[in-house]
Amino acid sequence: MTEATVATSQESAGVFAKSKLPSSDGKADVLIGMQNIWKTYDMGAEKVHALHGVSFEVHRGEYVAITGPSGSGKSTLMNLIGCLDTPSQGDYWLNGKNVSEMDDDELARIRNQEVGFVFQTFNLLARATALHNVELPLIYGGIPGGKRREMAKQALTEVDLVDRMMHRPNELSGGQRQRVAIARALVNHPSILLADEPTGALDTHTSYDIMNLFEKLHEEGNTIILVTHEHDIAARAHRVISIRDGLIEKDEQIR
Amino acid sequence: MFPRSNSLNPPLEPPAERRIALPARLRSLPFFRIIAVWEAFLVALGSLRQNKLRTGLTLIGIVVGVTAVIAVVTIIKGLDQTVAQTFSSQGSTVFTISKRPRVITSREDFIKFNRRKDITEDDAQAIFRLCNTCWRAGLAANDAVPVKRGNQKADTVALRAIAPTAMFEIDAVTINAGRFWSETEGNSGQSVCVVGSDIITNFFPYESPEQAVGQDLWAGGHRYRIVGVLQPLGKIFGISRDERIFIPFATYKKDYGLNVARGAFNTSGALVVFVQTQSADQLETAEDQVRAVMRNRRGKTFKDADDGFALETEDVFLNLYASATSNIYLVTIGVAAISLVVGGIVVMNIMLVSVTERTKEIGIRKAVGARRKDIMTQFLIEAVMVTAIGGAFGVLTGFGTAWLIALAIGFPLLFSIWSAVLGVGVSSIVGVISGLWPAWRASRLDPIEALRAE
Repeated sequence: MTEATVATSQESAGVFAKSKLPSSDGKADVLIGMQNIWKTYDMGAEKVHALHGVSFEVHRGEYVAITGPSGSGKSTLMNLIGCLDTPSQGDYWLNGKNVSEMDDDELARIRNQEVGFVFQTFNLLARATALHNVELPLIYGGIPGGKRREMAKQALTEVDLVDRMMHRPNELSGGQRQRVAIARALVNHPSILLADEPTGALDTHTSYDIMNLFEKLHEEGNTIILVTHEHDIAARAHRVISIRDGLIEKDEQIR
Repeated sequence: MFPRSNSLNPPLEPPAERRIALPARLRSLPFFRIIAVWEAFLVALGSLRQNKLRTGLTLIGIVVGVTAVIAVVTIIKGLDQTVAQTFSSQGSTVFTISKRPRVITSREDFIKFNRRKDITEDDAQAIFRLCNTCWRAGLAANDAVPVKRGNQKADTVALRAIAPTAMFEIDAVTINAGRFWSETEGNSGQSVCVVGSDIITNFFPYESPEQAVGQDLWAGGHRYRIVGVLQPLGKIFGISRDERIFIPFATYKKDYGLNVARGAFNTSGALVVFVQTQSADQLETAEDQVRAVMRNRRGKTFKDADDGFALETEDVFLNLYASATSNIYLVTIGVAAISLVVGGIVVMNIMLVSVTERTKEIGIRKAVGARRKDIMTQFLIEAVMVTAIGGAFGVLTGFGTAWLIALAIGFPLLFSIWSAVLGVGVSSIVGVISGLWPAWRASRLDPIEALRAE
């Protein structure tokens, strides 16, 4: 993409607002296409099937919660969606690209450009400032210094933390750390925002703040996938996919 | 509720999802790699700063290795210059004729050389007379004698008996105070002497060279009047070349006799003939003439392999010196290689620890898009930084060591920028080699596993 396009998009209302341009073939709004996904772990003597044939689609702009008890396979599914892992069988299409057969470095590039991770334990670099943490995906995306800082500041503004950008994670509260992580997830304008138990390490009040932030980001057009085992958190999403024993148990539109 | 349907959204903007990402082709250009490499550099710097003690301990092996090399190279370079200056003072126009060569490497040779006839004054006379390409010639005998002046005493001081006075020029010494003895004084065996500057320092501590001229000195139980003091020549290998006394050869013969047969191991008093040509071109011709004269005098025929005398230029010393220093170089390179290998293993070990400690960080970086080579670069840079810093320290301590030794034994210090570059360069290569395996392991970490680490 050219710089001009970036500039244009940044001048528009929300920096992280997503356009919903219909594509010519009408299929491009399918962002995630999972077709009969299997994930098998070879544990020496026996094979453990974490997922047995999962299929679903997520459209651009959706707000999906994936729930399920522990051991249900939802973490495995999250790792697959986030391109941290590849399925043993089946096809995974992310934003028009078949991710299921990519090698490590191609996956790294997809993670860099298509996926924004938000983790339960924030996973910020302890020794780096908030600003540097947010810059990290841009560094690996090859964005030069000046523009990188500007983009990172934008993202921190979005989560209302720009005044804290020179602080290190240990100088920030849990909620603030999670907001830094969200800014980091957003900074590269990924196709999906993938949050794994984002409120798991936060108190109730802060959890609500974070969930409100997700809501706002969704309203700006971001596609959000939330992995959680908490029902009240899942209830904030618009669609809930329940996983049990490696299969989709329920897939319902709740809003 | 925000509508998900596309149709409700007016197409005001271009597609947003690819706004930032650069094409892979562009991202692999060196410029964009530099961004990740610079990040890796900063991370490495931070990590080294974080673990100062560990970094310091890691460095020791590298520092020792580089110090050894730098110190030895600097010292030998300094000695080289001293040696070159010393021997070029007599120059490549001088050669000597003696009974035994100055360097004897085997017992058989030693026995063989000892059976030779001594060099005599007659030999010297014959050479002076018959060698027409010889420009200057002289003879000298060296001895060591006790010296006394008032309360100042020394057990052994070098005594050099020379004739004629042209030997002063062959020896390339110059007068600082007073004068050389005259040819007449020399030939008539007057008790006169010319002394090196250290003799004044040691025996006339409160007097200047000028004041010492005209005073007497007791050497080997004989009294000599100082007629001249020489310009200092300086030290070589820590040994002074200024602590010696020159007396006329005739005087020596009168006072000590010609002690050419003091024993196989004592060459004191043995005659050495010195010949100097006007230019280096004539050296070979002069050598041939002298060799012919001497072989004739020793009754050697064409068939005899041994000359019956030793004809040598100063190259003998230079060759001996070169072979000695090349051995020192070899030993040093061995020591340095061992300590660099050990240092490299230590660095590798520490890097493996560092990778384990920072598994989580690697996971985070991979999750946000770091590729294998990004992680690899990061740890390689860290390893190279450790060893390069170690190398730099080694260069400094090596120069420091050389400086201290130079102070102690006295030779010029030649700090070579190349040895510094080499020191840092070699240790950086050690860093690359020892960082390769830990960095490779780090780059292969599974991001899921890595993120789970604490």
